[in-house]
Amino acid sequence: MPLLDIRNLQLEFGTGRDAVRAVDGVSFTIAEGETLCLVGESGCGKSVSALSIARLVPTPPARYVGGEILLNGCDVLKMDQRELRSIRGGVVSYVFQEPSASLNPVFRVGNQIKESLKLHRPQFATDDEVIRLLKLVGIPAPESRIRDYPHQMSGGMQQRIMIAMALASEPKLLVADEPTTALDVTIQAQILELLRDLKARLRMSILLITHNLGIVGDIADRVAVMYAGQIVELSPARALLQRPLHPYTQALMNSVPQLGHELDRLQAIPGNVPNLGQFPRGCRFHPRCPKAQSDCSQKAPELVEVEPGRWVRCPYWK
Amino acid sequence: MKLLEVKNLKVHFPVKHGVFSRVNAWVKAVDDVSLTVAPGETVGLVGESGCGKTTLGRAIIRLLEPTGGSVTFEGEDITTLEGAALRERRRRFQMIFQDPVGSLNPRMTVGQIIGEALDIHKLVADEQAREQRIGKLLRDVGLDPVHAQRYPHEFSGGQRQRIGIARALAVEPKLIVCDEPVSALDVSVQAQIINLLQDLQREHGLAYLFIAHDLAVVEHISHRVVVMYLGKVVESAPSKSIINAPKHPYTQALLSAVPVVDPDSKRQRIVLPGDVPSPINPPGGCPFHPRCPVAEARCKTEVPALREVSAGHFTACHLAK
Ligand SMILES: Nc1ncnc2c1ncn2[C@@H]1O[C@H](COP(=O)(O)OP(=O)(O)OP(=O)(O)O)[C@@H](O)[C@H]1O
Ligand SMILES: Nc1ncnc2c1ncn2[C@@H]1O[C@H](COP(=O)(O)OP(=O)(O)OP(=O)(O)O)[C@@H](O)[C@H]1O
Ligand code: SF4
Ligand SMILES: [Mg+2]
Ligand SMILES: [Mg+2]
Repeated sequence: MPLLDIRNLQLEFGTGRDAVRAVDGVSFTIAEGETLCLVGESGCGKSVSALSIARLVPTPPARYVGGEILLNGCDVLKMDQRELRSIRGGVVSYVFQEPSASLNPVFRVGNQIKESLKLHRPQFATDDEVIRLLKLVGIPAPESRIRDYPHQMSGGMQQRIMIAMALASEPKLLVADEPTTALDVTIQAQILELLRDLKARLRMSILLITHNLGIVGDIADRVAVMYAGQIVELSPARALLQRPLHPYTQALMNSVPQLGHELDRLQAIPGNVPNLGQFPRGCRFHPRCPKAQSDCSQKAPELVEVEPGRWVRCPYWK
Repeated sequence: MKLLEVKNLKVHFPVKHGVFSRVNAWVKAVDDVSLTVAPGETVGLVGESGCGKTTLGRAIIRLLEPTGGSVTFEGEDITTLEGAALRERRRRFQMIFQDPVGSLNPRMTVGQIIGEALDIHKLVADEQAREQRIGKLLRDVGLDPVHAQRYPHEFSGGQRQRIGIARALAVEPKLIVCDEPVSALDVSVQAQIINLLQDLQREHGLAYLFIAHDLAVVEHISHRVVVMYLGKVVESAPSKSIINAPKHPYTQALLSAVPVVDPDSKRQRIVLPGDVPSPINPPGGCPFHPRCPVAEARCKTEVPALREVSAGHFTACHLAK
């Protein structure tokens, strides 16, 4: 049994005739010790899908209209408040892009980590354990740092404090939503190194959201590519990066410059991402797709396993 | 002739403390920087967060008062120009900002935003010419002339960035300082804007000083790249030579830290210890020495000069060959 098994998740914003479906039939699994990357353009539903795992999307305005989120076999969508509280920051921990989203500026960082320990592992709510966690995330001289306030640390260090806080509960699954977007490449490299190391040592599973295909190549075991609320390709990372099958994945990979590859001109994807609630009929990518056929504007394609472990939502992938 | 020549530029900010606001330290955000940009050239500017890239860009177009050094534009020293004379020269150099939302007035239509620049410099004779010019500028950046009636919030992030570009182009500049113009955008929109900037460069002979974090983007768009660390230039070279054969240990670490798409790449990553030191108390000697993996004794005391190690390739490291 996989640690996480999301089946046909459907989520809407708004009600009645104004309801728009932000997540439309998303399914994926994450095994123990596995890293899955979620990629796709802004607004395609990555964060909302990831927040759903601990049911952190406020309802209303959101509404779950279908599907299951099985965490260790139990459906998160059926849990009561008490059960939800125990998984949030417990089995599942989150790290967000902005340290300010999780760090309180008026408390010392050591105390903030200790609070998290008190909640989930009360017997370990000690300075020693806080220092061990800070060491784990690579904070130099942690003994002298536990009394610092967040503003006394650089962006990269704050990001590591957040990860330490997320690790305090010894989560089975770490959900990181663009954890390095605001950071420099050298600090980003430190954080990726840290995640890789934690995964190897603690057998932690990771769901990582990113725009950056380089990060996918660096850390992912598998990748899910989203477009307009749906997964359009799901595949082992190496295979996808070497040979993307869905036209959108191909277009995405062609549009980014790569270090050391000389290109006269970037291949931009024509047109814009459709707005929520205004998805085109048929395949949602068809107005921008270079491979579109006449029936692409009519029939909505299914996500189909075309090779072992490789799922593609396009009948013309060949 | 060089379009832009920056010589020994310094921008130091006072750090004030206490009731009497005495200045008790200086942030040396830009410290003795020299660089040149030729007409029609793109010079990329990279370096860690806080190393002084934005400050340098703002000082060049005189949005900031330099503490020392000089800025020469088309052969004229503009370092101390003021008032009307400065406004008049401003036509020739513009800036595009990272945040397309914050840099556009939300209460003005797109037509008013672009028209304002035309009016300030009296570039159009009458209302009809004004309208035509605005329509042409919008078409140039891939928008529709009917968009002139709309407000910034009615556009996507990428479209707003195009409006910012149209506004900069309105005054027919020779140089545009682009401060992270694509960092906030989606990869596919980013590709559209980069292509647009390159097309405009070909058509109008524009020069760019292009500030960005993404080294792959910088390599793609730049003819030359300048690397900064703690307010100083540590390396400067044609982009191919800096990407393929970086000489400064900081540039080497920076390049090795870029994650690559190819999962089979066997690159060795150089992980730098520690964080960037504060520009208030920069380390003596080579500013990079506390984090440098190959530093020697003299690196702690002697400041390395920027020297030419191969044709057109400059670096400030005692050990570079
Ligand atoms: N509280 C909300 N009310 C209404 N719509 C929302 C709300 N939160 C998110 N949405 C919409 O749901 C869609 C998916 O949003 P989500 O944040 O998951 O995107 P994303 O893929 O994470 O994008 P990004 O890369 O920009 O973070 C978007 O169109 C967004 O506008
Ligand atoms: N008005 C100011 N007063 C005092 N210090 C300032 C001011 N503006 C910038 N600084 C400082 O100058 C240094 C350089 O800042 P700058 O914004 O130029 O960096 P940057 O290279 O553009 O960084 P980033 O990549 O994060 O945009 C920083 O240490 C910053 O804190
Ligand atoms: S289904 Fe058609 S439009 Fe959609 S990705 Fe495939 S070829 Fe393109
Ligand atoms: Mg998001
Ligand atoms: Mg900046």
